[in-house]
Amino acid sequence: MGLQVPSAHTLVTALVSGLLLGGLLAVTALGLSLVLGVMRLINLVHGELVVAGAYLGFVLLSKLGLDPLAGLLLVAPALALLAWPLQRLLLQPVLGAGPQGPLLVTFGLSVIAQNLFVLVFSADTRSLGRPYATAPLHLAGLEVPAIYAISFAVALLVVGGVHLLVRRTGAGREMRAAAEDPAAAAVLGVDVGRVHGRAYALAAACAGIGGVLVGLAFSFTPTTGTAYLLSGFAVVVLGGLGSVLGTLIGGIGLGVIESLGGAVFGDGYRDLVGLAVFLAFLALRPQGLLGRADR
Amino acid sequence: MSRAGHGAALEAPPRRSAARTGSAVALLAGALLLALATPVTGEYTQQVGFRMLEYAALGQAWNLLGGYGGLVSLGSAAFIGIGAYTTAELTNHGLPLLPGMIVSGAFAALFAALVSPALFRLRGLYFTIGTLALAEALRLFMVNYNGLGGNIGIFLTSAAPTTAGLYRLALGVAAAATGLVALLLRTRLSLALRAVRDDEDVARQLGLVSFRTKLLAFTLAAFLMGVVGGLQAGKLSQIEPYGSFGLQWTVDVVTVVLIGGLGTIGGPLLGAVFTVALAEWLNAYPSLHLAITGAIVIVVVRFAPRGLWGLLADGWARLRPERAPP
Amino acid sequence: MTALLEVSGLTRRFGGVIAVDRLDLRVASGETLGVIGPNGAGKSTLVGLLAGALRPDGGRIVLAGRDVTGLRAPARARLGIGRTHQVPRPFRRMTVLENLLLGQVYGARTRGMAAARREGMAILERTGLADVAGEPAGSLPLLRLKRLELARALALRPRLLLLDEIGAGLIESELPELIELIRSLRAEVESVLVIEHVVEVIQACADRVAVLDWGRRLVEGTPAEVLRDPEVAAVYLGTTAVGPRAAGGGGAAHSEPAERSGPRAQPPPRPRPAEPAASRTRPVALALPPAEPLLRVEEVAVRYGAVRALQGVSIEVRRGEIVTLLGANGAGKTTAARAISGMVPLAAGEVRYAGERIDGCRPDRIAGLGIAHCLEGRHIFADLTVRENLELGGRNAPDRAELRRRLASVHELFPMLAERGGHSGALLSGGQQQMLAIGRALMAAPELVIFDEISLGLAPVVVDRLYQALAEVNRRGVAMLVIEQNVERGLALADRAYVLEKGRVALHGPPAAIRTDPRLLALYVGTAGME
Repeated sequence: MGLQVPSAHTLVTALVSGLLLGGLLAVTALGLSLVLGVMRLINLVHGELVVAGAYLGFVLLSKLGLDPLAGLLLVAPALALLAWPLQRLLLQPVLGAGPQGPLLVTFGLSVIAQNLFVLVFSADTRSLGRPYATAPLHLAGLEVPAIYAISFAVALLVVGGVHLLVRRTGAGREMRAAAEDPAAAAVLGVDVGRVHGRAYALAAACAGIGGVLVGLAFSFTPTTGTAYLLSGFAVVVLGGLGSVLGTLIGGIGLGVIESLGGAVFGDGYRDLVGLAVFLAFLALRPQGLLGRADR
Repeated sequence: MSRAGHGAALEAPPRRSAARTGSAVALLAGALLLALATPVTGEYTQQVGFRMLEYAALGQAWNLLGGYGGLVSLGSAAFIGIGAYTTAELTNHGLPLLPGMIVSGAFAALFAALVSPALFRLRGLYFTIGTLALAEALRLFMVNYNGLGGNIGIFLTSAAPTTAGLYRLALGVAAAATGLVALLLRTRLSLALRAVRDDEDVARQLGLVSFRTKLLAFTLAAFLMGVVGGLQAGKLSQIEPYGSFGLQWTVDVVTVVLIGGLGTIGGPLLGAVFTVALAEWLNAYPSLHLAITGAIVIVVVRFAPRGLWGLLADGWARLRPERAPP
Repeated sequence: MTALLEVSGLTRRFGGVIAVDRLDLRVASGETLGVIGPNGAGKSTLVGLLAGALRPDGGRIVLAGRDVTGLRAPARARLGIGRTHQVPRPFRRMTVLENLLLGQVYGARTRGMAAARREGMAILERTGLADVAGEPAGSLPLLRLKRLELARALALRPRLLLLDEIGAGLIESELPELIELIRSLRAEVESVLVIEHVVEVIQACADRVAVLDWGRRLVEGTPAEVLRDPEVAAVYLGTTAVGPRAAGGGGAAHSEPAERSGPRAQPPPRPRPAEPAASRTRPVALALPPAEPLLRVEEVAVRYGAVRALQGVSIEVRRGEIVTLLGANGAGKTTAARAISGMVPLAAGEVRYAGERIDGCRPDRIAGLGIAHCLEGRHIFADLTVRENLELGGRNAPDRAELRRRLASVHELFPMLAERGGHSGALLSGGQQQMLAIGRALMAAPELVIFDEISLGLAPVVVDRLYQALAEVNRRGVAMLVIEQNVERGLALADRAYVLEKGRVALHGPPAAIRTDPRLLALYVGTAGME
């Protein structure tokens, strides 16, 4: 573990790229936040949904020559269409069996998904290598990978879109009401089951978009999902549960922390620093997650 | 519905524990027989058996907190890894394998005790994700920390035990784990764990300091997992973070217990046999086998929440109609 | 007599609501203290605070001279505070005996499992549960679960036993057994605090009774004194000065309507058959044959696990009518409402709306048919603004124009809601939240609205305003089922009324008949008030 004191330039670069990277982290975390907020469920298969998006982007690129960014328009709905029946058929029926039921089903789904990826795509590391992705962008004397800026832009669009959906539409209203008080919502005529299905589909779509960005910016394997499950959680904890914009803040926060951690401790420590901060938050501010005092 | 009357109820516990003692003796005898039979069974059988026994022991350990206590931990890999690394270091410095394994277990238990105060402030689902984060953080740390070999890990330099020797050790560990858990279930810890699982708040209002209960179960489970980690190290010539701290361990342990039967003493045994046998049967298709295992987990959660052991117990009950109430 | 328990200045808030307000209470050594009071008076919160399940925001709790305010639940259990739960919370998957063993081993610190088993069996004998010692606790029926709660608390060898509504949900014939049981506790428990609605239990078991209202102690005395006290009756019935009820046994044929405090709404005019108002778009009721009531509840039974919440209940609401549902706490009023709107399944009976069966349908389907349910406790969505709450209520409006019309109509009724449109629902006061809840229910343009306890926790002048609004809404042709704990309020508004008692319909008829029925007060405060 080499502790190097970074130069000011390095630090600032780390800060800026961390900030931009935070957009990507926010998008990959958004789906997790939605499901947790609306359905009170830890979606253990969330990471695999992200990776599924990456693989789908890969397929579109290699088979159809479709640029991944354009492919976003296909990936998002495809994952939504995949996720909706998963929720209705597998998760909904086990809702009554206590909080363990749905959690364990998503656990099983995660195992299946990871191994399906290996079966179909092999365990090779892949990447959606596009020239514009790796090209450096010069911003005020700093050099950051262009893809970071692109994903930040995409993130703003996605987070903004979901925020508007949740805050300004009737469907979003129903989601918020069903999340807060399902019984009261039902009595007002809201079909809570369908709301959950829609939330899950939306979450999967966001995860898929995040996956394409991950594929462009980094590489991925069938097991990369776990890392994004955990970083998604870190984002939710940092940014506060239940707030879409909070997820953006949390993502930026995590991006900056990881970036700075990498600059100070060495690149291999990025993820570890992020996890350590996450654990510290959990240990010191558990009530910040749940929003309720102990008694 | 038991028979009316004070006397009958008083007798019930001794009858039950007589049955338990009987099956415990039977199990021990079986284990002894298997151990003695090693010259006869082939190396392949012993290797498969080794894995089954490892998972059986791990499953018993996980069940303590997860099955009886209702707290799902996804951090098993952390304790297995600590056990593996500690044993590797100790045996490289001359300590025999078995004492090394025990010390490793203690080390893992210590780690569990240290993280417990913070970890148990988290309730339910947040506890689960906290354990996962912890295990992954530890793995990442080990990958990067060059003091323990980083990505490459540690090479084991002491004399490698024989397959038969490892098999017998595994037998001992699995028997000890099963025995330990069975014994604990007859103490007040069993009461406390199940009360915490059923209704922690009410349990506290009856005088139970629930944190201590959770701490005890967690550290015991960590101890057993550490011992198994040490056993694993004994088998390998090199250990590194991906193999020792890898998430696959956690997934396998949880799968074994879920399929075998949550919260039962026979569940981990059945589950271990089933999953390893399935893996061997499909060993040409490792990913397919794992995918199928995942599907089985979902089916079990949905349709047979008490797992294979529960199915067997129900079937047994149906086959013995004279046990039915008058 | 020395005090075993001394509570001073005890305070506990939940959000903006003060549940227990600087309460002073004293339980002497060797006595059984009864605690009664209307819903929301703070009784259950008190038990939680004493047992350590809740932390106080202020005040002190002193047990046998020792300040235990800072001690957590396990420590208090070990010091000898045992409690039962209003709704039994057994360790379902453990046997009955094991339920006791936990408290004995960890709370009472009995040495050795064998000794604990013996003592446990002895307690089970005393509480009549010895024959099910080896059964899983989750399989027991209600009365036995209540005994188990008691047995489990006794296993702690408590000095102070807190009984939280142990009589609730029991039928008449089960009470003598329970009373016997509680009386027999004197021998082994130093002091008992009995929280009760069931008056027979209080009368038979308590040495003294304290009456709580709004989180404070109102009155204290012997059971007979307290139950005859006009102030106490007022607190339950909502009147201030009560007529000559104290005199003459059941023979009092009439009593003058009591003086009312504060301004009163005009009695509502006779309801007309519903005309399709311009804002209503679902004329389901027009197809209704005139004789068929809009809502018909027939021989309905509801169970919560082992609890018989409703039994053989039949209620009717005709088009444009106001029907009031009265009854003491725990009588089953809210359960009836929830059964109608589909929130709980029926164990028996039917619910018909406009002639069609609706029992067994999901709540959102039933809402779509034209029934709105203004829930007890308001249930405002804090994450939504006032306007969003209302718009959500109007989600079935066919177009924006209609939505706006309905919004305007609600704003006309409650102008405050228009002013506060952009505020979060949580920022409103209690009365304003209730207005929002009512407005939200009306946004669905329903034909029938169920109002569940809208007066709870609100000042009289605010409640007056609400009831004025209700009268206005009824004038527009909406039928209502109004659940009210406050008898006067309920009767003033109603065309007809039902009085529930322990899950059954005890009285029904026009308000005048109910008001003067001598059994009415008995249903709330027991027959002591009639001596």
